[in-house]
Amino acid sequence: MLRTALRNVLAHKARLLMTVLAVCLGVAFVSGTLVFADSSSAAYRAAVSRNFADIAVSVTPKFAPSATAEDQRTTVLDDALVRKLAKLPGVTTARPLADGTATLSAKDGSPLRAGKTWANLAAAYVPGEGGRDSRYPLVNGRAPHNSDEVAVDSGTAAAGGFGIGDMVTMATNGPVMTKRLVGIVSTKDPRVTAGGTLALFDKATAQRLFASPGHYTGIDLAAAPGTAQSELSDRVTAVLPADRAEVSTATAQAAQQAVNVDVLTRGYEKMPMIFAGVSLFIGSFLIVNTFTMLVTRRTREIALLRAIGASRRQVVRSVLLEAALVGLAASAVGFPLGLGVASVLPDILNTSQEVLPSGPLVISAQPVVAALAVGVGVTVLAAWLPSRRAARIAPVEAMRSAEQPPSAARSRIRGLVGLVLLVLGAGLLVSLAGAKDASEGNLDSAMLGCALLGAALIVLAPLLADPVVRLIGRLTTRFGVIGHLARENALRDPRRTAATASALMITTALVAGLAVIGNSTGQALDRQAASGLGADYVISTRDTTTAIDTAAVRRVADTSGVRTASAIADSTLFTGGKSQQISGVDPETVNSVMKLHFVSGSAKNLGPGRIAVSRTLAEQGGLSAGSRLNASIGRGQDFKQYSVVGVYEDNPVARDALGYRPEVQNNSFMPGSVQRLLVRTDNNAVSKDTESRLRAAVGNNPLLKVQDRGQLVHEAAGTVGNLLTLMYGLLVIGVVIAALGIVNTLAMSVSERTREIGVLRAIGMDRVGIRRMIRLEAVTVAAFGTLLGLLGGLFGAWAVGALANGAITQYSLALPWGTLALVCLMSLALGAVAAALPARRAAALSPLRAATEL
Amino acid sequence: MSQMFPTPAPGSPVTEPAARATGLTKVYGKGETRVTALDSVFVEFARGRFTAVMGPSGSGKSTLMHCMAGLDRVTSGSARIGGTELASLSDKQLTALRRDKVGFVFQGFNLLPTLTALENITLPLRLAGRQPDPAWLETVVTTVGLAGRLAHRPTELSGGQQQRVAAARALVSRPEIVFADEPTGNLDSRSGAEILGFLGDSVRELGQTVVMVTHDPVAAAHADRVVFLADGLLVDELHEPTADAVLDRMLRFEAQSRTR
Repeated sequence: MLRTALRNVLAHKARLLMTVLAVCLGVAFVSGTLVFADSSSAAYRAAVSRNFADIAVSVTPKFAPSATAEDQRTTVLDDALVRKLAKLPGVTTARPLADGTATLSAKDGSPLRAGKTWANLAAAYVPGEGGRDSRYPLVNGRAPHNSDEVAVDSGTAAAGGFGIGDMVTMATNGPVMTKRLVGIVSTKDPRVTAGGTLALFDKATAQRLFASPGHYTGIDLAAAPGTAQSELSDRVTAVLPADRAEVSTATAQAAQQAVNVDVLTRGYEKMPMIFAGVSLFIGSFLIVNTFTMLVTRRTREIALLRAIGASRRQVVRSVLLEAALVGLAASAVGFPLGLGVASVLPDILNTSQEVLPSGPLVISAQPVVAALAVGVGVTVLAAWLPSRRAARIAPVEAMRSAEQPPSAARSRIRGLVGLVLLVLGAGLLVSLAGAKDASEGNLDSAMLGCALLGAALIVLAPLLADPVVRLIGRLTTRFGVIGHLARENALRDPRRTAATASALMITTALVAGLAVIGNSTGQALDRQAASGLGADYVISTRDTTTAIDTAAVRRVADTSGVRTASAIADSTLFTGGKSQQISGVDPETVNSVMKLHFVSGSAKNLGPGRIAVSRTLAEQGGLSAGSRLNASIGRGQDFKQYSVVGVYEDNPVARDALGYRPEVQNNSFMPGSVQRLLVRTDNNAVSKDTESRLRAAVGNNPLLKVQDRGQLVHEAAGTVGNLLTLMYGLLVIGVVIAALGIVNTLAMSVSERTREIGVLRAIGMDRVGIRRMIRLEAVTVAAFGTLLGLLGGLFGAWAVGALANGAITQYSLALPWGTLALVCLMSLALGAVAAALPARRAAALSPLRAATEL
Repeated sequence: MSQMFPTPAPGSPVTEPAARATGLTKVYGKGETRVTALDSVFVEFARGRFTAVMGPSGSGKSTLMHCMAGLDRVTSGSARIGGTELASLSDKQLTALRRDKVGFVFQGFNLLPTLTALENITLPLRLAGRQPDPAWLETVVTTVGLAGRLAHRPTELSGGQQQRVAAARALVSRPEIVFADEPTGNLDSRSGAEILGFLGDSVRELGQTVVMVTHDPVAAAHADRVVFLADGLLVDELHEPTADAVLDRMLRFEAQSRTR
């Protein structure tokens, strides 16, 4: 049996080539992603363990829950404790830390890798024996000695364009600082090497910035050989003041970081895995189609086998075995391809903000097993249907020549099943149209509805092929008799046409659906960002725990070209168990920087004890202008009665409530601080020039973001951007596999119709005509898939969009005509391109084929 | 489209044959596997006549037809249809010639399964971008007795009916010459006789020229003239044949080749 299967595979090498290619694409994605995840995870772990190499246990301070930001500066960790710990048996060194974060400006003034504050590290340079800090070996220059000097790591220096002697602008909190770069060090900290920054200060400066003079933020202890971490941990705990400091072992910290690393790399796996799933799913249609065609072609052979005594089961097994061999070949080709994918993935995923740690490719057993399982499993599973078909071939068919058309009963069952699926899916989606929110349950129903709809389309496609191809035929028959023949050829076997078109159908549905949702969401976010904002620029802090210093606020107001600069203090409004966001504003200027639509009352009456609330908050709390609200603002613990002076339509800039700025500031976590600055320019001017003047006004502080409306929208649309990447990736993969499918089907059809093509040549169709006929058939099939997919995708997007409507009020269905046109054009072009090879082969057939008896 | 190949030179005799082979030689393969299928054959097919080409298997009769019909290229010598030398034509010109000047009837019917009978019949005209002449179409369709079955697909027709469609397709463009390759080979004797009747009628009543390759003496007896091929050579011919006379000749050739 194995020999028969092997011989069949070898005999149909060319026929199976496309199938192997399609499957191996999926295998490559799966194994490549797994290898990539393993490798980068290993690289992260290596980096983490290197970082903890000289640490056995760490001591960190502990605070009472009620401590304020200022309270937390004074820790129990001081030089006396460091000396005490250093003398403990088993401790070789005790290294004090004064760590925090510092955001740097690159040499051109732009914020340097300032995406994630936790990766913008700052630390004290702590000279050990020989006056050097072994944690940060100097590469160039010298250590910082006073508060005017700084050292950075080589990665930061390269990214920022710094050299020794340059002045470096930075901010830890509040105003900007400028220090001279005196040294460049190397570091093993993965947070820094993975695309962060590191700034080193002398010990006193670091203490002043991140703790208070004489105090530290932590102490790292190195253990003598033979001293266990747990043992040391116990000894250290014994000497620490119990409520003010705690101990953790390096192993525990590394384990914690490793968990974080895994979460991070799993996140990177997501998109390639979606690609893998989609490509395998689409590819499975190609497999079904190929094996169906092979079985059909071998009908007489199989019937003969049955006639001479092969059992149904043996026939099934031989087909499945053949599929397994194809899958094996695909896995064998796909896995090395996957290694290629794994080695290029980091380059694709690396951005200026994030650098994946580099390391050798780690090939564990899991991806190898997965490649085999996916390749063989998917192929065999997809070949199961055709194998059933093969089993149904009756021995008597060995004597018949023509293929029997599928019975009417079978298409009736198909139609019934398809309609039931369609009604269920569409019904589910339509029922969601009334849903108000994107809750987990609703999303699940939407997914299920889309899946049912997709299944219905796949089941119904062979039945839809006839009417839809006839419709498309109205266009192709403009090409005269050639178009007529192309249409008839596409209609000849609706199941084959449908299976070939399915790949394109699914791709188009996915891409069109994503494109519509992405476009609608993007426009909604755009409208949302623009709707509440009257200002032309928004200056805000990168970090919620920092503030814009008051001098900067004054300088912005005095900048030329600025008409109004309205400061906003952000804080929290507690109303009986719930917390809302309150914006402290100036009643005189707020209307010129925010587009507020008051349902009742107005912003003019804001003042001490008087607030305005959003419509949503008003509805929740049963409030209206004139009613009173029991609430507290910020860290003020006392509830008091605030009178509501207005209710406004929900506004993302104003947030949940508006308060009187001095009052909000008084109760803020950082008293007197300003978090946002809304700037209205003369004549609403937005230009690079204005932006750089504003940046200069805030001292080029890298902690502050200066954004115009467009940049705000762009920031809000970040997730939509991901969706677009996913969409175009899917489009490319789907189109490639669909192309393979079309090449496959047409090649098979051409070889089946050799005689017919010979006749056409004999009675006077020239080569150009033959080529055109095949190409038109391919375009017809492609158009069929595209049309069906487009309809399905648009319907799904419409239904799912209703959910988004609950989350984003400004959401409305917006069709990205350009993208949709591109998808259609690509699909049709794909048909024409995929047909090129089979068309050439067909055109090369001699008219003598007509006279040759087969 | 008909301008794509040279028209006969002016002043050529009116009695010029519909097709003519002059020293026609066809060699397949090279070296060891070299086979001479036709060895310098001289033959003319007169206009308005029904000629049968006979010979045993491997005699070269099919090769002769393929070369004369422009389906295959000659190795040396000349094959002409009307005044047109086939060897001088490009593939495109040859295709146009087959479409406009030649009709085919094959043993295996060779209809397009996706087209109706009528669509099959008019296919050569539609390929040329021409409208069928309704009167002529009517004549052809009635002659082959297909009226009433024109909307059927080939699979819904019997073998005899399919071959009649093929005959109508060959005649519809009023070709200079119709080549029929064993047209009765796949038919029962009654259907075969009908087809031969139509081919004969098309010559005698519609003035067509028909060349038919066959190995059946009864079929050959429908022709005006029979030429005999053996081992790639034209060996004999017979005018106004009867089945018995043809069979007699055939048996004589076989006896000769056995004694050789």
